[in-house]
Amino acid sequence: MEIFRHDLVVVGGGGAGLRAAIAAAESDPAARIALVSKVYPMRSHTVSAEGGAAAVARPDDSFEQHAYDTVKGSDFLADQDVVEYFVHEAPGELTRLEHWGCPWSRNEDGTVATRAFGGMATKRTWFAADKVGFHMLHTLFQHSLRFEGIVRYDEYFAVKLLVEEGRVQGVLALDVRTGELVVFAAPSTLLCTGGAGKAFPFTTNGNIKTGDGMALAYRAGVPLKDMEFVQYHPTGLPGTGILITEAARGEGGYLRNADGERFLVTRDYGVGTKAELGPRDMISRAIILEIEAGRGVQGEDGEYVLLDLTHLGEEKINTRLPFVRELALTYAGVDPVREPIPIRPVVHYMMGGIDVNIDGATDLPGLYAAGEAACVSLNGANRLGSNSLTECMVFGARSGLAALRFAREAGGVDEARLRARAEESREGVESRRGRKAGTVRISELRRRLNATMEKGCGVYRDEERMQETVATIAELRPLLSEIALEDDSRVFNTEVVAALELENLFDVAEAVAGAALARKESRGAHARRDYPNRDDQNYLHHSLVYHDPSRPRLATKPVALGRFQPEERKY
Amino acid sequence: MAHPQAMQPARPPRTRTARPKAPDYLRPRMLSYLLFDATGIVYLLAGLVVLRAVFALASGPAAWQAFVADLHHPGYVAFHLLTFVSAVFVGVRFFRLFPKAQPARIGPLRPPPRPLIHAMLYAVWIAVTAFVVAAMVGVIP
Amino acid sequence: MADGSKTKTFIVTRFDPDRHEAPTTETYEVPVRERWKVLDALNYIKDELDPTLSHRWSCRMAVCGSCGMNVNGEPKLTCKTSLAEYGDTVRVEPLANFPVVRDLVVELDGFMDKFRAVKPWIIKAKERAVEEGPHRQSPEELEVFRQFSMCINCMLCYAACPVVANEPEFLGPAAIALGHRYNEDSRDEGARERNRIFRGEGTIFSCSYANECSEVCPKHVDPAAAINQAKFRAVLDWAASFVTSGPREE
Repeated sequence: MEIFRHDLVVVGGGGAGLRAAIAAAESDPAARIALVSKVYPMRSHTVSAEGGAAAVARPDDSFEQHAYDTVKGSDFLADQDVVEYFVHEAPGELTRLEHWGCPWSRNEDGTVATRAFGGMATKRTWFAADKVGFHMLHTLFQHSLRFEGIVRYDEYFAVKLLVEEGRVQGVLALDVRTGELVVFAAPSTLLCTGGAGKAFPFTTNGNIKTGDGMALAYRAGVPLKDMEFVQYHPTGLPGTGILITEAARGEGGYLRNADGERFLVTRDYGVGTKAELGPRDMISRAIILEIEAGRGVQGEDGEYVLLDLTHLGEEKINTRLPFVRELALTYAGVDPVREPIPIRPVVHYMMGGIDVNIDGATDLPGLYAAGEAACVSLNGANRLGSNSLTECMVFGARSGLAALRFAREAGGVDEARLRARAEESREGVESRRGRKAGTVRISELRRRLNATMEKGCGVYRDEERMQETVATIAELRPLLSEIALEDDSRVFNTEVVAALELENLFDVAEAVAGAALARKESRGAHARRDYPNRDDQNYLHHSLVYHDPSRPRLATKPVALGRFQPEERKY
Repeated sequence: MAHPQAMQPARPPRTRTARPKAPDYLRPRMLSYLLFDATGIVYLLAGLVVLRAVFALASGPAAWQAFVADLHHPGYVAFHLLTFVSAVFVGVRFFRLFPKAQPARIGPLRPPPRPLIHAMLYAVWIAVTAFVVAAMVGVIP
Repeated sequence: MADGSKTKTFIVTRFDPDRHEAPTTETYEVPVRERWKVLDALNYIKDELDPTLSHRWSCRMAVCGSCGMNVNGEPKLTCKTSLAEYGDTVRVEPLANFPVVRDLVVELDGFMDKFRAVKPWIIKAKERAVEEGPHRQSPEELEVFRQFSMCINCMLCYAACPVVANEPEFLGPAAIALGHRYNEDSRDEGARERNRIFRGEGTIFSCSYANECSEVCPKHVDPAAAINQAKFRAVLDWAASFVTSGPREE
């Protein structure tokens, strides 16, 4: 088995992973950094982010205001030390991207333009038309090519963390191209593998968002934190779930029901005068309630409401929202210049993730995480739109530096034992190839998992349905070893990868459903019909889920409060 | 038709690959491009005709008369029609592609809007054609 | 069919280096729905008919650039291409001009090397400090290169290019457009360096302006325009080098 030796292994080549690798390479040109990704970095799902990245930029704005908006948006479950660090670092990080070539949209005077976003008090979202994630990712990727210290391993799928002497000393990975298992040996590993939207049937997430890093850490004994908080983005295209950015509302778009009524204005959904620029959790709930009240439009992919941009005019749509127009035309057959776009809430983002501190460090020495895969507790119970791209920059950089520092202090790795440990896992992976004797197909099992997640962990939740979901996941889990795999080829065997991804999704789904069931209150994106109110007395804490072969173990962790005390969340 | 190493990696491939497939040359746009390329042969032949004309001119009036008489031969007429069609085809194609090949700025200078460049090319073409026709029919001495 | 779907025949390239000497094809009958893209049919084949088919895809919203393939001979982004454009038979092949790794998966290494060769990053004589804040760049200055920064690296342009087919070392449309994008960026000072690369063998002057790259580009990047603008620039830069000795001011 081949061993690649590095100082730092970064798993995942999206926004956070690239930023981390660049930070580490900049700080120490001699450092040997592996950038391991199951896809070429420019395919990473950061590419699909549309609306923008938040950082204080205008004279009428302040760090305190950005921090307050973020904490209030989180329904007071964010760790405020993390939030303070984040808002202070954000402008510098986005400026770095500007220096590296990111084509930010501009004001007439040549300064960087900002736009309004949901839950933000003022215009602080930097944007490059409506393809911000795309431009940020490509800027980062192109910039990363300068550094000789970053060695890319494209299309390698991480299978297992190799833990020796109580610390992570490497990663076992499958070279998808050759079908061979390889070992990345390094004293420090950083997981930047993104979220797990594919646990759900209806999601903005791409096919690669299967929670791989979360599952790797979880199985290595690291808890997943705040997994019950799954963000539903209010505006996805029915059927495909393709994202229509919040910037469409930031630029002045309206939400209307079947009667043409701007229900966020005419009815009380708690968003006050913010109307369409309320936070995502509240607007998603408002849409569901409108549909349940019979004011949705019936379509072939279920009921929906309307996102109306027709009053913005063709020129504004073409300059500020060209991608929205392209997506609506291509995937919904609707030209937003002339007609409203059909939309409904869609699974978008995991607030939860691998439990890490402000350095991105887990409790397992040598293991770090950043980006959507991690839960540094910036987002609490509900993330504000445009905070996550900035989060990838701020905490990607900090975690990359911290992980490299750890590598310098931790010393070497025990290669002989790594090799032995890796060999133990070989059979488990290789036996999957062409395991034709199974009884269930990957697609079938994935469908069943998706269905139960949608039922139990939707926008609104209740005890009975969540219990059913927990039970169904436990029931389906044994079927993972019953999957029939027909592809016995070594080369580019995507069926084996899909099977491993489905196992990861089961781990994540189990944590989501378990944590959701345990939180008997409504907070942020976790809205329970049977417990409609927030309960700070009993639930102002993070939830932790630990892996256990029999059933996941739950625990809690205090929230780091600061200058903002919990108050009623009303806009 | 594809070169066996088209888009080959710089490193030896880690698994055996199948050789690249050639693009489909029979698609209408590709055919039109190949046709455009092929007009080069027409211009080569037209050049030979011009050379012959020069030699005829140099060899005295009799030779020139013989050459002019030859030009009435249907073969020559057909060839010159083909040359004309080729020139129009290449001209139109060139005019279509020329405007967007202009750099966005040279120092402080900016090119005019693309439709204007396009219109200017046609205007010049029409003017030159009119001038040549006028000269030929004797309006311009 | 009663549920509004209609069956189409898909002829798909299959190649496994351990099994096949050369690529072969396999035929599938797929009940397609009205709104489906080509990619939906491939995923149906993978999920329901034949899990051994390998193809790349992710975002299914025309921005990650993974799913480029030749469909009925034309390079297409399969997640963006509606099946309604085609008749009852659809031929899906790996992108032309690329070595084939497996089924519909092509080798990217050569492309990645070319991509890096144009130095696609901001080059500065002196790095700007974060404390100095963002550069000023007017909307007009942004507009000069914006279009060329929209490339998603789907590589359809390489599959369409007749020059790539005959001259494998040709730097190619996406890479040149990317280099040109940085040359035209008001923040960049690396044009002279890149123009030296562009004046080398197998780069911009190999382009015969077939314009096929721009015809197939799903993002309207217009690489042919970039390459031919770059020719102009490279010549100007070369001429200027006789007049001045310092770096070109622009």
